[in-house]
Amino acid sequence: MSNNPDIKARVFEKIRSGEVSMRPRFLFTLRVIGTATLALLALLVAIFTLSFVVFSVHESGEQFLLGFGARGLATFAAIFPWLPLIVAVALLFVLEALLHTFTFGYRVPLLRIFLWVLLAAAAGTFLVGLTSVHSYLLDRADHDELPVLGPLYERIHDVHTQQGVYRGMITAFTNTGFILAHDDVDRDADESSWQIIPPHRFATSTLSIGERVYVAGRFANGFVYAYGIQSLAQRSVSQ
Amino acid sequence: MAAEPYDPSDEALAALVQKNDHAAFALLMDRYQPKLLRYGRRFLAQQEPIDDAVQDVFLKVYQNIQSYDAQRPFAPWIYRIAHNVFTNELRRKSRKPLVTLDLDMLSAHTAYEIDPAGEEEQRQVETLINRGLDALPSRYREVTVLHYIENLSYQEIADVLHVPVGTVGIRLYRARQVLKKYVEQS
Repeated sequence: MSNNPDIKARVFEKIRSGEVSMRPRFLFTLRVIGTATLALLALLVAIFTLSFVVFSVHESGEQFLLGFGARGLATFAAIFPWLPLIVAVALLFVLEALLHTFTFGYRVPLLRIFLWVLLAAAAGTFLVGLTSVHSYLLDRADHDELPVLGPLYERIHDVHTQQGVYRGMITAFTNTGFILAHDDVDRDADESSWQIIPPHRFATSTLSIGERVYVAGRFANGFVYAYGIQSLAQRSVSQ
Repeated sequence: MAAEPYDPSDEALAALVQKNDHAAFALLMDRYQPKLLRYGRRFLAQQEPIDDAVQDVFLKVYQNIQSYDAQRPFAPWIYRIAHNVFTNELRRKSRKPLVTLDLDMLSAHTAYEIDPAGEEEQRQVETLINRGLDALPSRYREVTVLHYIENLSYQEIADVLHVPVGTVGIRLYRARQVLKKYVEQS
């Protein structure tokens, strides 16, 4: 095969005319630094978001629904903070794509690198869970002092009475159960109270006035017929 | 006493191009033009001239030469640029979207990381390639061209395509199977 001299001539013509020029090295260095920074940022935001999801489920008491049987599971799925979780998973995929642009990234099979990414995210989530960063931010949000992320944290204290979930403090006992007052010590005007009928064979004596409890049940005729009650102090469990 | 002919390596030439040495760039183009024309024609499976695409490759090489690390082999770097240009060309011409996710990239294929082909196997495959290369899907056709025609190693092909070495091996294995089947049927 003979070389086509036109190609070389046309290339040099474009170079000489200035139509094509050599990009300086610092541009490529900047691109590598930019990609690495984006990858790190994606990992950090994914870790923060995942740890927020864990904190949110724990702080709101939603994890107790998992122990309340099939109805509890369905309610858990209905009120789970899916959006932050989806954002975190999407960020992990972005991170994987960014890592793939590096030599060490594309030389490793996709599944293995995704496993590394998952492990890094899990380890980071665990470490953030050891700190009080989310408690601090929640406290700021409760006092309306957290811009941008405030609504996300305030959601933790949202009532989910539409889904049959009630959280609050026992203010009194009645013949059939107890009165639960919703009070999240925040500035929301969502305070109210409900009369709770515990499930059959539930030992109300395990509870006390002033105790904070998490209740899942069905509201009817002015009463909440509970199928699960859990002390938020984790002193008693019953169904 | 006759002087040794000046025959610098591709890497040395590329380092000179980085210092704006146009003569070195001309020499690099002389070396790679036939290879890129052959690679492009085979990869794109077309008979029409692909001079414009190859010219585009050289222009991109010149523009991006400062991103080349002269400590690493030059061939995979320039073939990577050519791969991107030719892939874009295929994408432009194809009405169907090119598949970007390859399941072979998901997991490790360590058993396929070593080239099993001996000289006899090499000859057989070359015969198969001559008869049925165009029948291969583009992702199998490309590794076949890079390995059997351009003589790139598995590792170099992995660097061109940005895939794990095992993926190169399994694609070549599958390409050989498809070629054998095609030649048998025809």
